[in-house]
Amino acid sequence: MATQVLILILFFLVAGCASSERMERMYAQRCLGCHGVWGRGDGPLAASLPVSVPDFRDTIRSKSVIQIRKVITQGKGIMPAFEPALAKPEIQDMVRMVRVLSQKGRSLEWWEKFEPLVWAHCSVPWEFVLGYEEPANREKP
Amino acid sequence: MIGRELTRLLVRALVAVVIVCQRPALSHDQGSLIEKGAPRRQMYLRIDDFSLTDHLGNAFSFRTLREKVVLAGFIYTTCPDVCPLITASMRLVQEGLRPDERKSVHLLSITTDPEIDTPEVLKSYAQRYKADFSNWSFLTGDLPSLSGVWKAFGVKVQRKARGLVSHTTLTALIDKQGVMRFAYYGTSPDSKMILRDIRGLLSAR
Repeated sequence: MATQVLILILFFLVAGCASSERMERMYAQRCLGCHGVWGRGDGPLAASLPVSVPDFRDTIRSKSVIQIRKVITQGKGIMPAFEPALAKPEIQDMVRMVRVLSQKGRSLEWWEKFEPLVWAHCSVPWEFVLGYEEPANREKP
Repeated sequence: MIGRELTRLLVRALVAVVIVCQRPALSHDQGSLIEKGAPRRQMYLRIDDFSLTDHLGNAFSFRTLREKVVLAGFIYTTCPDVCPLITASMRLVQEGLRPDERKSVHLLSITTDPEIDTPEVLKSYAQRYKADFSNWSFLTGDLPSLSGVWKAFGVKVQRKARGLVSHTTLTALIDKQGVMRFAYYGTSPDSKMILRDIRGLLSAR
């Protein structure tokens, strides 16, 4: 049993961050316009905004999972608050996508996978731990 | 594995290209964001009275704004692209009004997504923009009431998903008699131009 748990933990640690189709679709619909393809804050709308859009590589260095989730759910400045519209798994997708994109286009150091912040973003199965439900039916009312 | 990454990269690049190249005539046309300001059109369209609910949950009647110049923008709070620009422009207009002008000018932000935008959600949205509620109301209502308002202003609304709506990007300026005199179509209406038009309407007899 202990070996199985250890293997499971190691799997989560080594697996690293990956995106799913749901995450990609969510990002394209709700985030890409401002945050850009790679989360560098250079989306097609960014230049028109009255504020600068953060680079996710800086965001993950300065904010915890909880802080990033709070910005996504409650909004900040002109960034929309997504909590009223999205289900918790969708919010979680957004939180994780910040980490996934922050790792794109650069080679990861081995220790980064074991960094608590990275682990909290990528390897903790939050939906399982917190018992999130799947998004409700999105059909037109 | 590399093939899948390449496919994802191509899909993202394609989405970005599609967003930039959308037709300007369509609602939420992000292509026109690249241009500074929004196309301004002179109009003469009488807006009949309508009743909605404001950000405090109180009943709101458009009739109460007669003898005031009204700037109305159509937005929804979870809009990921153009609505923040429209609201930010309206905020600049509000800031640019002199104290004596504030009494004669009222701003309206009318939601295009009543499914999400309750009075509480609208109030929270307004507070993020530091809107001064003394002459700015954020309006919602039931779908039939709002549909009538959208139609009166010529705003088309299409629900894409929960919290994702496509709509005509209109900011409208209405004179003291309740007639829509200027329409600013596009995503980033020029606040200085709007202030100039407001002052023109205020000084008109």
